[in-house]
Amino acid sequence: MRRFLLSTAALVALACSAPAHAETKIELQRFFGACDADYGKVTDVSKAVGECGIITSLVNKFEAENPDIDVNVTTVEWPGYDQLNAQLASGAAPDVVSMHYSAISDYQSRGLIDPVDDILSAEGISPDSFTDAARGGVTKDGQMFGLPFDNWTMLFHINMNLMKQAGLVNADGTPILPKSADELIAQGKQFREKTGKPYLVQILANETAAYARILYTLLQQQKSDFFADPTKIKLDTPEARNAIELMKRIKDEGLSTTGLDYAAAVTAFTHGDGGIAVNGTWLIGDFVAQSEKDGTALAKGYAVYPVPQLYPGQDSTYADGHSWVLPHKDRTPEQTAAIGKLFKFLADNDYEWARTGHLPAVKAVFDKPEFKALPHRESIAKIAETGRSLPGAVQRQFAIQDIIGEEVGAAVNGDKSVDEALSSAESRINDLLANI
Amino acid sequence: MAESYRRSQWSNGLFVLPYLAVFLVLLVFPLVWGAWLSLHKVDLFGPGRFVGLANYGRVLADPVFLQALRNTVVFVLVSVPSLVALGLFLALALNKTTRATSFLRALFFSSSVLSVTIVTLIWRFVFIPGDGLLAVISEQLGIAPVNFLSTSGWSLFSVGVATVWWCLGLPMMLFLAALQQIPSDLYEAAALDNAGPWRVLTRVTLPSIARTIMLVTIIQIVMQFQLFGQAQLMTNGGPNGTSRPLVMYIYEVGFVRWDVGKAAAASEFLFLIILVAAMAQYLVSTRKSEVSE
Repeated sequence: MRRFLLSTAALVALACSAPAHAETKIELQRFFGACDADYGKVTDVSKAVGECGIITSLVNKFEAENPDIDVNVTTVEWPGYDQLNAQLASGAAPDVVSMHYSAISDYQSRGLIDPVDDILSAEGISPDSFTDAARGGVTKDGQMFGLPFDNWTMLFHINMNLMKQAGLVNADGTPILPKSADELIAQGKQFREKTGKPYLVQILANETAAYARILYTLLQQQKSDFFADPTKIKLDTPEARNAIELMKRIKDEGLSTTGLDYAAAVTAFTHGDGGIAVNGTWLIGDFVAQSEKDGTALAKGYAVYPVPQLYPGQDSTYADGHSWVLPHKDRTPEQTAAIGKLFKFLADNDYEWARTGHLPAVKAVFDKPEFKALPHRESIAKIAETGRSLPGAVQRQFAIQDIIGEEVGAAVNGDKSVDEALSSAESRINDLLANI
Repeated sequence: MAESYRRSQWSNGLFVLPYLAVFLVLLVFPLVWGAWLSLHKVDLFGPGRFVGLANYGRVLADPVFLQALRNTVVFVLVSVPSLVALGLFLALALNKTTRATSFLRALFFSSSVLSVTIVTLIWRFVFIPGDGLLAVISEQLGIAPVNFLSTSGWSLFSVGVATVWWCLGLPMMLFLAALQQIPSDLYEAAALDNAGPWRVLTRVTLPSIARTIMLVTIIQIVMQFQLFGQAQLMTNGGPNGTSRPLVMYIYEVGFVRWDVGKAAAASEFLFLIILVAAMAQYLVSTRKSEVSE
């Protein structure tokens, strides 16, 4: 028995001390969903649709082209920062992580992520090759802390079949969209009367991000500088009151779906349960694919536009973006080189990612004929100029979003008065920011 | 006693060492460390600074904490009696050895083996507006459907229904075990005295399993105070925080806002509440045994 144990131990020791496999391993952790059943083996990226399909096949293609590099992908529930925090705290962070521009300052200010300038320059990627919005999103204290991947905003995804029924289509076939808050209500009522369905399909349940993004957009359109001081929010303003009262009116007048969470809202729009889905750029690819199928509610009847300017202040939409960051950890030169190759590959293939609907982070993609030929990109092109994020110095933007979503949701659903919700949101956010 | 005492050796303690090590590392150490953290202004990633009891003050002054505490207490007050009553009812109904009852026992217990993710997924299918089971039924009946997961009051209720369905197996099994230990001569005596079923239940069955009822109640109080997964996955604490339980508050403060000191202080409050519940069980059970002796 002892001999057996000894020989087993010897074998195990031998196996462990055998020369390491020639592959360099990169642990990549991302959101964007899991779709291995459909795309687990796909390396032809052009066949993929949607965020999950495209990123999965991109990584597959990279691995196929670089047999010496093994990219081990972990998919996390969006946005995955709680998990990342726990990994960072226990010293078990992955090598590459997907991160919103709005979350970078939290990690950069604590020294939890590494700058990527050297990696990019080693691969010959110039910072100038990125759009200003994308580069600004990842740049802190003059250094880039991630590979910018895209910019995104919320949009009006429009079911043109229902809009026709509602008589809200111009002679040239474009949708009639509101130019003010009152027009929005009037057109919403017209839509409901003609189609019997709600005008807007909104994510109003079990979710905070949508409320916050709409509020930011409406505040920006009124030129409200609610984060003039990045350590203090100012929400006790007439602009904020206007914005929330409009959101509440839309709900009270029955112009929006209610009680739908993210998944249910996406399904409701594709089933034709409402006219305009207020959702992100990332769904364009999926909705276009739907509209090309006969027999669907969107068949030959999908259009997409930026959130219209409803206030005279300025045309603006809250924008953010996705990037790939490197948690601070020791890496071998081989790993660093492999990450460099991956970054170069992702930047070179930014067009494929832009097919999701996101705005590309790489400038050159805008000039590509394939990109110009993508459907609907013309109608949303202006978000490159009108997209605005929160000031980069604002920390804990996801926690702030949760608080805003909860309080605004309470006001919209009538659980709290508008004033109560605003002052509660303001004091909760300022308490959070004062105690960082 | 003398013999065994003489033969006892210190080295025998080695047998409990593995358990003791796990107990110290996974329970005592985190407990002390949690208390230590609660006295510091600290995030997840590094040393903090000592702030005394300031975190406790901040927790008590936080309306969101007080709301979460209230939600949790309401949840426990409603879910625990439901679990005890339903568990007892099922145990009484299934306290026979036929093929049908064994099948039904397995069926009712089966929900307990599911993970919280599956349980909430199933109940989302029931409660979600539009295509959800209840929405479809109320549409058929011509009743205006309720948005169960996003209406104040209903959201916590929905979490409670899912929880009761999920946790019912254990109380039922504990009650069944207790019922099967009641000596059958008690029932024979009751039958000879011509006692009706109600009288048998209240005078024989319930008094015989009183300690199990107490045990189940305390276990469920301790468990339900730790409600988290169902609320997180079904309602995300909403709307307006009306279904946010204490553990979710702690999670949000610690992991989303990185305010670990404050989260630790809130955890100490939860620890105190559960400690009181556990002590109550200890007191009640020791007093009961004194009485019976």
